[in-house]
Amino acid sequence: MKKLVSAPALFIGAGAFLIVGLMLGFWWAPVDSSSMGFSQKIFYYHAPIAETSLVAFGVAFVAAIMYLRTQDLRWDRLGYVSIRLGLLFAILVMITGMIWGKASWGTWWAWEPRLTTFLLVCFLYAAYWVLRSVVDEEQRRATYAAVFAIIAFIDVPITWFATRLMPEGLHPAVITSGGTGMESSMFASFMISMVGMTLLLAALIRRDLQIETLKDQVTDLKTSLGG
Amino acid sequence: MTIEEGVKYVAAAYAIILAVLVIYYFMSARRVAVLQRDVDLLEEEAKRRQAPAGEAGAE
Repeated sequence: MKKLVSAPALFIGAGAFLIVGLMLGFWWAPVDSSSMGFSQKIFYYHAPIAETSLVAFGVAFVAAIMYLRTQDLRWDRLGYVSIRLGLLFAILVMITGMIWGKASWGTWWAWEPRLTTFLLVCFLYAAYWVLRSVVDEEQRRATYAAVFAIIAFIDVPITWFATRLMPEGLHPAVITSGGTGMESSMFASFMISMVGMTLLLAALIRRDLQIETLKDQVTDLKTSLGG
Repeated sequence: MTIEEGVKYVAAAYAIILAVLVIYYFMSARRVAVLQRDVDLLEEEAKRRQAPAGEAGAE
């Protein structure tokens, strides 16, 4: 099947959006007038990475359902690479969130709803990796992984709604039913970075799928050559 | 928090994000190149092994 957009185009598009989003966030959007001050600038990549990591886990959730329905290992591969990238992004969210927390709250960590549920997401998807590594048989591993990915995804909407359901926590809810709670220039910069981060995720998923396909080809060729 | 105080936190956060993403990008690109080279070599080897067998069959 012919791909709609080439891989280099996705990476170039992602890079362009991310650079523009960052530049607008620093030079167009004003410095936050609340107690966060200049440290609020971390938001322009922190929030898009956080939301993109949840999107990656959503892709893995859909891939898990599709695998269980079709038993096609290509869905397992998609779920695997999505979780790998989702976890990478989630770790970046945790690190940058801790830096931001130290700057604006004066503490690296707080056991409040958003942070705690997001940490749980990281642990759950790290456990997914452990699970995969202990099952050798391919179809059985894919089935267990798919079931686990579906169960782990339960925490994703909980994380998303944590700040809305429990607004007394330290972490603010940025986009709510009442609006964005920020200036239009801040929101525009955020949205441009969000598009860039989503394109980057798509490009990296595509490249990681290529890696997994090539690894399978190498294994098959070695087997056919007798070792 | 003044801008001067915030700069070091903001710089640290963006440096970590950019470093990790750029390293991942180049690592994955290198992995694709290495695996593609392996596939090409193995396919060549498979063809090389098939060629004498094909010639022997023709005789």
